[in-house]
Amino acid sequence: MMARTGTDIQIAICGSAGDGTIASGDIMKRAAALMGFNVIAFDVYPPEIRGFGKCISRIRISSTQAYSLKHESDILVSLNDAHAIPHVGEVRDFGAVLYDDHLVSSVPEGGHISAHIKPAQIPYGFSIRQISELATNSARSRNIVILGYMAGLFNLPREPFREIIRDKFAKKAQSVIDDNIKAFDAGVHEGQAVFKLDDVEVKRESGDDSNGSEAVMMTGNGAVVRGFMEAGIQSYFGYPITPATSIMERLAVEMPPQGGKFLQTEDEISAIAAAVGAGYTGSRAATATSGPGLALMAEMLGLGVMAEVPLVVVVSQRGGPSTGLPTKTEQSDLNLAVFGGSGDAQRIVLAPTNVEGCYRCAGMAFEIAETYQVPVILLIDLYLSNRYETVFPAEGNAFSPKPRKPLKPAKGKPYKRFELTESSVSPRALPGDAGLMHTVTGLEHNELGRPNDAIHMDMSIKRHEKLKPAVHFPGLTVSKRFGDEGPVRVGILGWGSSFGEILETMYQAQAEGIRCSAMKVVMLSPLPMESLKAFYDDCDEVLVPELNYEGQFAGLVSGALGRPVTRLNRATGTPMVVREILEEVRRLAEGEPSPLRSGNARGARS
Amino acid sequence: MGAGLHNVIIGSGSAGFGAAMTLRASDPNCRITMITMDSLPFYHRYDLPQVFRGKQDWRDLLDVPPSHYDEMGIKLRRNSCVVDVDGAKQLITLAHQENVAYDRLLVCAGGRSYVPENLTGYAGLMHGFGSFEAAMRVYRDLPKGGTAIMIGGDMIGIDLALTLLEMGYKVALITTPQTFWPHEVSADEQSHLLRALEAKGMKVYEHSRPVGVARNARRKAATCVTLEDGTEVKGNVVMSFCGLASSVEFMLGADVDIERGILVNPELRTSNDTIWAAGDVCQIWHDREKAYKFYHGWQNVRVMGELAARNMSGTHEIFDVDVENRIGVDKQGEISSTFWIH
Amino acid sequence: MNERVKPVYLEEKLEEIRADGHQEYRSKSLPTWCPGCGYFSMAEGLTVALNRLEIPFKDVVTVSGIGCASRFPFFVSTYGFHTLHGRVLPVATGVKIGNDDLTVIAVGGDGDAFAIGGGHIPHAARRNVDMTYLVFDNGIYGLTKGQTSPTSALGFKTSSTPYENGDVPLNPLMMLLSYGASWVGQAYAGHPHHLADMITQAISHRGFSFLRILSPCVTFDKTNNTYANLNVNVRDLPEDHDTSDLMAAMAQAQHNDHPALGVYFEHDRATLGQVMGATSKRAGGD
Repeated sequence: MMARTGTDIQIAICGSAGDGTIASGDIMKRAAALMGFNVIAFDVYPPEIRGFGKCISRIRISSTQAYSLKHESDILVSLNDAHAIPHVGEVRDFGAVLYDDHLVSSVPEGGHISAHIKPAQIPYGFSIRQISELATNSARSRNIVILGYMAGLFNLPREPFREIIRDKFAKKAQSVIDDNIKAFDAGVHEGQAVFKLDDVEVKRESGDDSNGSEAVMMTGNGAVVRGFMEAGIQSYFGYPITPATSIMERLAVEMPPQGGKFLQTEDEISAIAAAVGAGYTGSRAATATSGPGLALMAEMLGLGVMAEVPLVVVVSQRGGPSTGLPTKTEQSDLNLAVFGGSGDAQRIVLAPTNVEGCYRCAGMAFEIAETYQVPVILLIDLYLSNRYETVFPAEGNAFSPKPRKPLKPAKGKPYKRFELTESSVSPRALPGDAGLMHTVTGLEHNELGRPNDAIHMDMSIKRHEKLKPAVHFPGLTVSKRFGDEGPVRVGILGWGSSFGEILETMYQAQAEGIRCSAMKVVMLSPLPMESLKAFYDDCDEVLVPELNYEGQFAGLVSGALGRPVTRLNRATGTPMVVREILEEVRRLAEGEPSPLRSGNARGARS
Repeated sequence: MGAGLHNVIIGSGSAGFGAAMTLRASDPNCRITMITMDSLPFYHRYDLPQVFRGKQDWRDLLDVPPSHYDEMGIKLRRNSCVVDVDGAKQLITLAHQENVAYDRLLVCAGGRSYVPENLTGYAGLMHGFGSFEAAMRVYRDLPKGGTAIMIGGDMIGIDLALTLLEMGYKVALITTPQTFWPHEVSADEQSHLLRALEAKGMKVYEHSRPVGVARNARRKAATCVTLEDGTEVKGNVVMSFCGLASSVEFMLGADVDIERGILVNPELRTSNDTIWAAGDVCQIWHDREKAYKFYHGWQNVRVMGELAARNMSGTHEIFDVDVENRIGVDKQGEISSTFWIH
Repeated sequence: MNERVKPVYLEEKLEEIRADGHQEYRSKSLPTWCPGCGYFSMAEGLTVALNRLEIPFKDVVTVSGIGCASRFPFFVSTYGFHTLHGRVLPVATGVKIGNDDLTVIAVGGDGDAFAIGGGHIPHAARRNVDMTYLVFDNGIYGLTKGQTSPTSALGFKTSSTPYENGDVPLNPLMMLLSYGASWVGQAYAGHPHHLADMITQAISHRGFSFLRILSPCVTFDKTNNTYANLNVNVRDLPEDHDTSDLMAAMAQAQHNDHPALGVYFEHDRATLGQVMGATSKRAGGD
């Protein structure tokens, strides 16, 4: 049983747009990474572009790697009481609430956050605005003052903060940097004089997850970009869509200096069409989109599968269906990613569970696509795309493409692009190769690539069999089991970002004495059937929590295994709640008949 | 009964806490808000010497768990300083610029530690003992076997002193007229009591009054008290225990009569119909003596709070203004005081 | 140049080519086009053009959509990509970007190009992707057995417009000229030598070349765009036509009833590949 020792605290900074809330959270997380902690951070932005909408920056700092944000925070900082008041309940008992004890103008009863702090929480009121004004002649540095106060109160090393502040404002005038440092130091002075009444502990130890390289703070989208760049991406075609847009924007900046070809196309169909065209020539080509875009791309994906063209498609899921909830997270495009497109068009789908996974899967995606000559879908979600985590990058050239040995034409024999081989993977010629000209098509075709209906069964076998070895692709984690080994009472099966909450649930269940194990499945197509069967056989009960209404992964797994599972579905637009998963685990452990148990593979649509 | 009325209690000491619980028991529907400058929920101040007996987690000191306030529907406003009460508009103004309207108000704001006039300039250098935080500061600044210098004494200080002596610390007591506050003792009684204290190991300085407080170059707080006759009493911390001065400044606009404390009738109501007062902050009219008197001590304070609360709900109970106030030494040399009964 | 040409037969042509000693561009697949289809001339024309320009067929990719015209890649021995209905231009763009050394020929019919594929044309044209777009315009959907297309004439009766077509047809030349294509030309399957010439010029132009090839569907259009009608209606562009004058080209493009053959407009400007190269320099140089 694993105990969570060491530091594990979560800070929530809440303010209005214009208070510097997000900047403050940015400094906090980068300083924490610099101190050697593992960090997960996620910011919530207001939907409007302008105005004074609510911003929340949440940062979880831990000694060992965490897999999600916690449902409860240990510290809440209010830069704007009206926005922060609804979140006071998020702070745990004996955690801290920091706020300004000096308002600019009078408010009626309940207008100040101190009216809402619960008896078990510790209030820390101090004159944030006045301290900022005294230090810098302006109230604008309030967001820096609170960082200093926290450093003083929780006895955090000061220098990492100062370093990040200097770096963050490096492009501004020296006076700006100086003012921010002054504001920080003034906050420290105030915070260290306060008597600490909460029980939030920050121990000064660094994590031991590193492999010698230095941690880098990345979002999921940033990690995808980094993985692509290290894998030598050569062409990228994109169309803006929330929440994948920043992948396109980052590649637009990073590819041209390396000679990479970047193009913003007129729509998603042309984006994937161009990726198919470029992939056909042997270029490492990719595109990124979200659910609605993937729906448009379905036909082209089928062409990629039929013509056996390698390419990579990143899909960051958001609330659906249709235009859905563009700024909320969900996991409801699994069916589309795995099955979307006409006919039996199986492709490889990878669904990492954290930012590090995004980086590694993106780094290996091209190699996988080229090995199996098939489109690879990298299925992530808004939560992963936008949250920050510390990642330890791979060594050197781990993802660089290996040099290609060009094919030589066989004398007298016409070249068979779709030759039926033992591995079902055919030797592939590229345009420009002498003597190996051929046509690829979306029509069913024979080994030569010529239209042919009679061979349909054999070609279907080929296209499906060739993918089966992908579950053993070297260096790729296709599934992983955590927790108790051998037979367990309750097994939790999950995928994507909700696995973070699943893992937290497993640890809590174990702490309560339940024999519990959790398994993440990263390769959704083809499925790692051996591992799934072995896991299923070990568990008395299998729970599949996921962030969609119809239980898409449960349906996939239950159908593949031919066995029933218990579903836990949520479509809230926000990450799953550990407490809710835990309640279900407890009920299963007790042996109570669960109303959620279903043997129907199609689930909620029946 | 006041269904939906807003009852506000200023102060979360023994009087205020007792009042809140009593109000809730007598009226399940009214709104109750406690306002305090403190950062923690209610705990008994007489438990503070426990920090020297290993009780250093404030959660162990609480009288009821924090969840109890939610269960009772009592809103606990901490870190909140009242700067004004408008008795006519029935409006309280808090320092952070929030206004709270009340239907009935009970003031149990207690008192601040009184510092003799000639030493007020040194107040900042001395350690307090009025809260958990202050007690922990004393604990941290007092090394093992170190010396605590007490100016005055008073029943709060002497209570602490007895614990310190038991736990192996040293105590130096410099007497002032408040040495056995709130008891008024004769010179003989005083001498008797001081001998009993010395028997317990306390070092008593009774022949000269304190005139100055100093710190050594390295420390931020005071470590030495100078007496009129030139004696320097040296130690690790200096504390002033000279009784309490009622906290009444914020009541000046409340349209209530105030002397040294808030004046109340034996029903503990002030001259304003909707305002009551209880505990160390108030003076109660003693009809026979024709004077307003203070009533201190853990038990008195609690009784006052609960009585005032019942009267706020409509009863007309009278506080026993003849309650006795005694201090003595028994055959074993143990000091007893009605102040310490709880 | 109003020559009348008899329908093309496969074996004869193969003989001709072997005799010439040219590379065999024609693959061994028999075309699925109907005898007399105008598309045979296209296969001819491309054959001749690539030969003249001495482009090795290993460096040529023919990309097509869906339709009769889109069967084209199977019948030439270059690399070929038979893609999806309406998507030939973005795929071809991807091919060219993937490997700039390739000569990319995009092929499609009028339905593939102007109905479902219409949205992609402006972007390939304005970006000046260095490729050649050959659109075989027969004013009908032949593969699916005869429905109206965006270039079908008003009043045309087909299986989808039994009560006559009421939609005003598109003017493809106007479209491409407005979209900024840097080479726009028109040819006719009934004039195969001229056609071969046009294809040669289109391929050798560096930039996005659009060649509209008027071509009868002998099976499903017996009334409108027949050889007989077109032979009479086509004409040449005026002798003094200035191919660098966009307005003049547009004026000529108005006459859909009497289509003029020849190069309407040509203009040299940076191709997408060159722009990308310049971007890389700018980005790396900073």
